[in-house]
Amino acid sequence: MRPGRLIGKAILALAGFLAVFPLLWTALNALKNNVDIITRAPRLVFTPTLANIGYIIGRDSVLTGLYHSVVACGSAVLIGVVLGLPAAYAVARYPNRWAGDIQFFVLSLRFLPPVAVAIPLMVIWLQVGLYDTLPALIITYSLLTISVIMWLAIPAFQSVPNEIEEAAFVDGYGAYSVFWRIALPVAARSLAGAVAFSFVLVWNEFLIALMLSSSNAKTLPIVASELSQQGMNVPWGILNASVVLLSLPPLLFLGVLSGFLNSVFRQKKT
Amino acid sequence: MARRTSLPVTFVVPTIAILLVLSMVPTLYAIVIALQNRELSTPDYSWVWLSNFVDLFLDRRFLNAVWVSVKWEIVTVVATMVVAIGLGVLMFEVASPRLRNVYCLLFIIPVLLPRVSAAFVWKFAYHPLYGIATYPYRLVTGGLIFDPLSKPATALFAVASVDVWQWGLFFAVIVLKLLETLPPQPIEAARLDHARRWQIHAYVTLPMLKAPLISLMFVKMIESLRSFDLIYVMTRGGPGVATETLDMYAFSQGFIESGKVSYASAMAVLMMIATVITFTMLWKRVQA
Repeated sequence: MRPGRLIGKAILALAGFLAVFPLLWTALNALKNNVDIITRAPRLVFTPTLANIGYIIGRDSVLTGLYHSVVACGSAVLIGVVLGLPAAYAVARYPNRWAGDIQFFVLSLRFLPPVAVAIPLMVIWLQVGLYDTLPALIITYSLLTISVIMWLAIPAFQSVPNEIEEAAFVDGYGAYSVFWRIALPVAARSLAGAVAFSFVLVWNEFLIALMLSSSNAKTLPIVASELSQQGMNVPWGILNASVVLLSLPPLLFLGVLSGFLNSVFRQKKT
Repeated sequence: MARRTSLPVTFVVPTIAILLVLSMVPTLYAIVIALQNRELSTPDYSWVWLSNFVDLFLDRRFLNAVWVSVKWEIVTVVATMVVAIGLGVLMFEVASPRLRNVYCLLFIIPVLLPRVSAAFVWKFAYHPLYGIATYPYRLVTGGLIFDPLSKPATALFAVASVDVWQWGLFFAVIVLKLLETLPPQPIEAARLDHARRWQIHAYVTLPMLKAPLISLMFVKMIESLRSFDLIYVMTRGGPGVATETLDMYAFSQGFIESGKVSYASAMAVLMMIATVITFTMLWKRVQA
């Protein structure tokens, strides 16, 4: 093997190590007592404890944060699916002279700085009395989920072979049943990727949740960041445990999303 | 498919109408608030028209925030693209197909993490006394202290490294997939001409991928605008104002320090105008 290749492999291995090690280290620290974390030299051998994780799971603020996150993100994704998928299908299959403009409009929603949306919405929600409630958060997140799901679902529907749908029309299916019974199932895998992506996006969202909630609608990222604001008095193990809890749900989608990535690029080839 | 059906109307119109309402109401309202002098502490307000904007341009902290935001944008976009292309090409060259799959999976993990989590992970890692990332430095220097997050010169780069950790590795996977979609003939031809490996990529494969790579950069530019979570958790804009980007400054004006919602909104409106104009122009150019 030439030295160049060897160096290349070493760099790759190092990058792979850097990709996961910080997270693994955090998970390890979640199992440590404070004495084992606050050490000059990192400690790999220690007596593990479940106290941190137990503390996190037992805390009311964390549990309600988790509940708020699940409800807000779940509802927003559901709205995104119900409104976004049909619209994406229509844009993909019945293109008219506005199709380009619609696509650009949906993308341009992503250019909006989050602060520019959050500040006026806070004032609006305050005025209508919905500030610091889950419905306000859900409606705000829907803007995000609808646009992202639409943006990703348009190419997914376009990649469904036209002939299948034509055949269904010949068999006497109406336009709506072609959507329900042909396009949706055939594109299901890519669509699942798009939906998973939108979920990860709102689950990870921080700025809007921070500005639109003060006590009753705090999501998990806000609760986790508040734990850290108590300074170094909070045992680090507990902080690490809360980071791990916050990171787990998006990682559950690792398989779906990497499959989605593969299918997107396989289509490009053909 | 030219069929007469109500489907396009029933599927598109409600969704677009809702999106329009959800996006235009806050946007227009942001402009309205920016022309007033609202504060969180009182419900009273009056119209002050453009004076918020005038104040902004006289506000040195605002001008600093503009500069920090520009620096942030340039540093993260350039570093992400360099890391992505470098690692993507390396995977293409030296990794076996099975190993490629392993790396692809590993490299997607950081970007899936909530930004808040990523920020915490690295805030611990950068801790001057107990951090795992500063440990090698302590080991080599015999216990000297290196605190990247509290030095004005390094803080921005330390935070940016987390952004590149998330996006650079993820984009490396995409660069690899793009390289895999290329037809093998031009690469073979270059090889027969005794081109070196790096020459093949510099003169053949990467130019062939120019369009998708530019789109990728465009996506990163948009995502780099969302730096708030990282900066909020890791430095809160500090030390001093060294990492105070526009959204961080708008947030602290509107919420933490004084509750000047109108002033913050004026800032947000300027950001909105700048990004919408820039990205619309870039997008039209990418599409053309």
